[in-house]
Amino acid sequence: MSLLLWTLLVPLAAAVIGGLPGPRKLKELALVGGLWSTFALCAATAAQFLRGETPAAFGDALRVDGLSALILVLSGFVGALAGPYGVGYLRRNEAKGRVTERMSREFYGLLPAYVFALLLVSVSNNLGLLWIAVELTTLASVFLVAFHNGDTSLEAAWKFLVLGSLGLGFALLGTVLLFAAGQNVLGEGSSALHWTRFMEVARELHPFTLRLGVVFALIGYGTKAGLAPMHTWKPDVYREAPSTAGVLMAVGMMNGAVYCLLRIHLISKAALGPDFSSGLLLALGLLSVLVAMPFILIQWNLKRLLAYSSIEHVGIMAIGLGLGAEAAVFGALLHMTYHSIAKPVAFFSVGTLAQLHRSSNVDDIGSGSLGRTPVASALFCLAVLIMTGSPPFGLFFSEMMILKAGFFGPHLVVTSIFLAALVVLFCGFFYQVGRLVFGPQPVREQPPEPEQLDLSTMTMLAAAVIAVASAFYLPEPLLALIHAAVAVVQGSV
Amino acid sequence: MTRDILILCSAGMLVTAFLMVGQKALFTAIRLYGVQSLLLGIVAVAMGVAEGRPHLFVTAALTVGLKAFLIPWFLMRVIDRIGIYREIQPFLNVPSSLLACLGLTVVGYRVSTGLPEGTRGVTHHVIGVALSMLLIGLFLMVTRKKAVTQILALLTVENAVFLVALGATSGMPLIVELGISFDVILAVLILGVMVHRIVERFESMDVSRLSKLKG
Repeated sequence: MSLLLWTLLVPLAAAVIGGLPGPRKLKELALVGGLWSTFALCAATAAQFLRGETPAAFGDALRVDGLSALILVLSGFVGALAGPYGVGYLRRNEAKGRVTERMSREFYGLLPAYVFALLLVSVSNNLGLLWIAVELTTLASVFLVAFHNGDTSLEAAWKFLVLGSLGLGFALLGTVLLFAAGQNVLGEGSSALHWTRFMEVARELHPFTLRLGVVFALIGYGTKAGLAPMHTWKPDVYREAPSTAGVLMAVGMMNGAVYCLLRIHLISKAALGPDFSSGLLLALGLLSVLVAMPFILIQWNLKRLLAYSSIEHVGIMAIGLGLGAEAAVFGALLHMTYHSIAKPVAFFSVGTLAQLHRSSNVDDIGSGSLGRTPVASALFCLAVLIMTGSPPFGLFFSEMMILKAGFFGPHLVVTSIFLAALVVLFCGFFYQVGRLVFGPQPVREQPPEPEQLDLSTMTMLAAAVIAVASAFYLPEPLLALIHAAVAVVQGSV
Repeated sequence: MTRDILILCSAGMLVTAFLMVGQKALFTAIRLYGVQSLLLGIVAVAMGVAEGRPHLFVTAALTVGLKAFLIPWFLMRVIDRIGIYREIQPFLNVPSSLLACLGLTVVGYRVSTGLPEGTRGVTHHVIGVALSMLLIGLFLMVTRKKAVTQILALLTVENAVFLVALGATSGMPLIVELGISFDVILAVLILGVMVHRIVERFESMDVSRLSKLKG
């Protein structure tokens, strides 16, 4: 059996072990071991691609090109970090007696299932299968959002499910219309919905139907990516989901959704010329960055702060991809890579802070948290430094690249507004951090729990080391994957 | 002949969508959804006969089996168990809702005129109906408070998308269709479980009470 199929089967097997009743040790082992071997298999599949092969299965319904390989590796990476952090997270909650048997089954079963769905998204070459995979990610994550089963988590899960399903309804309509646009040229059978087939016959697609389809598909998958104005589920969901699931959403799901947007964008670009869908991406991206701005300035909850940061970053990627110049596309994909590496630090540190202080509200944690929970607070500062694009970290370079390409291109106004928004966002983040971390320590009736060097803390530290190291050294194969992905987007392969 | 059946059934689907808007009893709304799915099944059969595509019969069987019987039965069971039978106060009253939906139908038909006319000459009508239903589904979604009504609105949108698929493409590849049906069933099950949890927690399924998260 091919490597690609193993990559998909291993997390599925881990999900089955985790979802069935069984001893806790076995489930922990299945989660961590399963997700680590998944990452290894993802890397191996990408290596196979770099050697010049094209891993594929089921008559090209699954197919790994440069773009797929990059996103596959990033999703695998986040999964590998989420595994051990999740184990530590659940152990802490178990120690407080807050985990029922049903909750632990959901946790250990759904996390690997979610990773499986994310990987399936990134290797789907068939637009129908792509839709099915995205729907699976939604379904796998609903109960993770509702994990704590409180008033607010049910609210968040319901909004997530309803908005997500609605978005996917739009995406399905978009897919159907794309198929209708190629009714006479795509041919029969399941290969008719292959993305590669669409690219072959792009020039013969019916333009009006295609336009309609592209708009619906971009709105639909944009909902999953959390682009404004379809972003409203994101803050609620990120606040309620356990950080382990949150990081999979903020990195894995977001990358997966950007992957879907890109596939649709590329079909549209080949058939209708670059202006149509690029314009849409630029508009949605700029709106996302602008929408995030005020909410970051007035934010009262750390996890919601991360959600708005995530809306900002998906906006930046959309702008980079919408600008369309090769340098901008490279910047956008580099941004995706660095964002995937940095985001776990943010989620893990905020998750730890929330657990220790029993709340993720800024007021409940109080000022001067550096004195009380030094490790998590320091890492949160570091994560903010990285995520706001401060030099020498990677996101600074990717943002500069996009800005430079923007100023040399035809979209001067968009780029200027984008630059101004970035500056405000930078200040907003540091205002929030200053409010939280520094300052006098208030007297509290309930002091936070002391920090311990357990599995979650170690994962958090490891993630921080990787994030800092990546600023100075990005492995050669990863760079090669980014270049390969750029080649796919620019249509030069 | 098949042409008449096609137009009759898709028009019937639009009528059920309108009736759903005018309906406050949840049981009746669910039955209307069942009838709508049955009509969708008939459209698929008619299309299969007219075009000689046997795989559309499978689609039709799936649609009727799952959406006309299984999903309505499941939703009725959910309602029975939690004992809430009526949509008391929608955000917009029934007459103005119907009026708004009339406007949405006009918009749906207008958009459908841009699509290429199929050989049957009925594509235009079918897609017009489908797009109108889609808009009505969205409208239901934003104006109703009960969780079950929101599920029905989602399912109406989904039926509309399938009708577009039938009208504009004479059916998606079978394997894709199977996968989509599987996902839809799974989604409805999960939605049902969520409704249950919400009712347990809030002793109501008014989604307007889900309003603590802001900012």
